[in-house]
Amino acid sequence: MANLNKSAEGMDCNYKKGSLPGCAPLAAAYVPIQEEDPPTYGANEALMRGTLFPGLDLPFMNSVNKTVPYSGTPLGEIMALGFVIKELNLYLDTHPDDREAFRMLGKILDLNQAARMKYVKKYGPLTLNDLEDCDTYSWLCDPWPWEYSERRGTR
Amino acid sequence: MFVYEKKLQYPVKIKNTNPKLAKFIISQYGGPDGELGASLRYLSQRYSMPYPELKGLLTDIGVEELNHLEMVGAIIHQLTRNLTMEQIKASGFDTYFVDHTAGVYPQFASGTPWTAATMQVKGDTITDLSEDMGAEQKARATYDNILRMSDDPDVNNVIRFLRQREVVHFQRFGEALRFTQEKLDQKNIYAINPSFDRQ
Repeated sequence: MANLNKSAEGMDCNYKKGSLPGCAPLAAAYVPIQEEDPPTYGANEALMRGTLFPGLDLPFMNSVNKTVPYSGTPLGEIMALGFVIKELNLYLDTHPDDREAFRMLGKILDLNQAARMKYVKKYGPLTLNDLEDCDTYSWLCDPWPWEYSERRGTR
Repeated sequence: MFVYEKKLQYPVKIKNTNPKLAKFIISQYGGPDGELGASLRYLSQRYSMPYPELKGLLTDIGVEELNHLEMVGAIIHQLTRNLTMEQIKASGFDTYFVDHTAGVYPQFASGTPWTAATMQVKGDTITDLSEDMGAEQKARATYDNILRMSDDPDVNNVIRFLRQREVVHFQRFGEALRFTQEKLDQKNIYAINPSFDRQ
């Protein structure tokens, strides 16, 4: 996708705006459609900010996260890539013809598969299917995702 | 069908317990604008959606809301681990504790159990998508209020993520509504309900 174009920021219409119909039926609600091929954050920044798209990044009191736990660990990597996949999934649901976004999805799916294998080897299965590559029934190993753990993703 | 992935969508790692925060954040688990209602709303509304784009979007956002339900559950669980009876009494968590100990129960901050009366499945495409846009704004405003009341950086880190997701979902539902309007008779978009009437 296109890189964030800083020079476009001051213009009347940029990646933070979208298209509205010039003439439209009354008594209807209109949200601007996000333009195709919008600028995107890198995977880690996307996870930290809660969106892949700078144009949709609208924080409360303009206060944003500066860190995200497990960043740079195998767990952090699958969370960041999984999140980009989710964002592209929702974007493509309403922009199914954006070839560039679909191409990016394919690329991220590849990266995610490799990152998952790395994680599973080190920390155990993410899904029951991953047990195929495990020697024991390690599905039950603590910690479970909701538990507080100092060492998760850093072992 | 659903397959469980043994990870959260976004990490929840809360160093300090704080039952006072748990007492109101529980509303995003089972409250009127919480994640349980969000996931059930979208996953139930999808059956009457007329176009593949809408079936996909309702499924995909509904599934993401289940991720968020799990994250809010993790926040409550971590805020209430290893509590002493003194902490429970001093924080006002005692009214929750008497019914649920330190379990995670879907309820409003006020104690009312989760109820399907907080959501609707109208079976009318424009109506359901309009409700979904309102639901995202209500959840966003609830997360704003949580950020106003919480001073725990570990909690706020997760809440900021969840709040931003509501903004993105609002945009996608808005785009889905636009898509629907364009499929309808431009002289009268209310002539039929595409979820029910044959076009």
